[in-house]
Amino acid sequence: MTRSPSTLAKASDVVLGYGPHIALDRSSFTMPLGGIIAMIGPNGSGKSTLLRALAGLLRPASGTLTVLGGDPGAARHRVSLVLQSMTVTTGMPITVAEAVGMGRYAALGMFRRMRPTDRRRVREAMELLEITDLGRRHLTELSGGQRQRVYVAQGIAQDHEILLLDEPLTGLDLVSARTIDRIIHTERDRGHTVVVTTHDLEEAMAADHVVLLNRRIVASGPPAEVLTRRHLEVAYGLGALHAPREVGSASMFLDDPARLPPGVPTPRS
Amino acid sequence: MLPSFVAWLTDPFLLGFQQRSLLGGVLAGVMSAVVGTWLVLRGMSFFGDAFVHGVVPGIAAATVLDVNPALGAAVAATVMVAGIELVNRQTALREDTAIGLLFVGMLALGVIIISATDSYTGSLTAILFGDALGVSTGDLVGQAVLAAVVVAASIVLYRPFLAMAFDRDKAELLGMRPRRAHAALLVLVAAAVIGSYRSVGTLLVFGLLVGPPAAAALIARTVVRMMLLAAGFAAVSVWLGLIVSYHLGTAGSATMAFVPIAGFFVTLAATRIRTLAVTRLRARLPEGDTRSADERPTAQRSAR
Repeated sequence: MTRSPSTLAKASDVVLGYGPHIALDRSSFTMPLGGIIAMIGPNGSGKSTLLRALAGLLRPASGTLTVLGGDPGAARHRVSLVLQSMTVTTGMPITVAEAVGMGRYAALGMFRRMRPTDRRRVREAMELLEITDLGRRHLTELSGGQRQRVYVAQGIAQDHEILLLDEPLTGLDLVSARTIDRIIHTERDRGHTVVVTTHDLEEAMAADHVVLLNRRIVASGPPAEVLTRRHLEVAYGLGALHAPREVGSASMFLDDPARLPPGVPTPRS
Repeated sequence: MLPSFVAWLTDPFLLGFQQRSLLGGVLAGVMSAVVGTWLVLRGMSFFGDAFVHGVVPGIAAATVLDVNPALGAAVAATVMVAGIELVNRQTALREDTAIGLLFVGMLALGVIIISATDSYTGSLTAILFGDALGVSTGDLVGQAVLAAVVVAASIVLYRPFLAMAFDRDKAELLGMRPRRAHAALLVLVAAAVIGSYRSVGTLLVFGLLVGPPAAAALIARTVVRMMLLAAGFAAVSVWLGLIVSYHLGTAGSATMAFVPIAGFFVTLAATRIRTLAVTRLRARLPEGDTRSADERPTAQRSAR
């Protein structure tokens, strides 16, 4: 397989699943390197599964998937995965500083002690996410939004070129959501590739590349080409859209008032 | 009054076999608590419970065949883990079902093997409930070696274990090799059980695996402190258990295993009372005083 520096991932008839359960059926797509890539689809559409496959944590059941031109497992050291706050055990007796410091384990290995460079990286990540004052706090003492910022800081502290975030803005308070959104754009400006899974159509529209899926890839490309009424109806099912409601370039929204952009009146059924 | 209290504390340990039971119990307690910390943090307590019962047929078969019980326990532990993995991989059943199946199956198999011998009751009791007062010097040496290995490995593998307790996927991407770390943890649990069953028995070693770490988790702010506290709680539990057992004439192993569980509920009550007191104190703080009750000077706290 030839290495393609302009491509983050390339899939050909890839099938992803867990044992007999298929999460993503025969799909072919290309994801560009650089910029923000949003993966959007209904619950159980295979977004997190695809994210895990991109991270090299799940091997395809069939077909081929390359990341950075090679085997996804070989690219692991260039990838940082930000956990979803709901999936992490909250009862761990661990401080915020220690949790963020875990991001340096990839560089330090099992035994090497933290060097000044590592400490600086941890400090900078905490400053970026505005959690420096929480450093000595226990994870259980934080709100969901603060915890999510800790996990993003942990991902930032890790050496990476690609940042994978699983629903980073879901259910967050305004301050945390804004901070993480700012970080996503800062990462893009630094030349990194950011892949986010989301349920938010507005968030997907703001990305550079969108992958729309529902147990298979429905469409992949620039937001304007992917987030069309036809594609969204295929992904979410007929009747899932309200139209027309002109906001920016979008003219349709998913059938969930909570996902409508601010200022848009709640549609009546 | 004081001399009689001192005598109450020291009388249970005047004789050599009593001192060996204390030392054996402390070694069992410390290694179980250290490795148990990781079980508690990873939510693997049920697995731990099943695991300590899963070694019974191995020890029983070793007793019948007159070979080293540690070898039998190691073989049984391997069969147990392989069985759980087999059910997990070949079926869509949840992991707790696989653990439950192997738990009962292995325990029953152990009792079946022992029941085929002439000394059924005595052997079974010794395996399940231990023989705290029958610990020999040779047993202590073996225990000390295993305890040193378990504690050293828990320190060396701190990062992989911590990352794995945090999130398995994250551990993988951080290069902490969670599969190997998980396997290493199982070996350490097996080592702790093998090193402890003589003192506290396979049924009751679970009390030391889970009780002290669970109590420590209520008050520790870091994993290292949790581990140290758990080891301390376990040592005190063994000491207190043997004293109570001596004076009340109760079974030594069972009393040693009961104390840490009671200690957990005492710790839980103490932490809840403290939280309630702090909450009430905060409510009484004058408006504008943004310091928490904990941050206020001691004298000021006392005055209130």
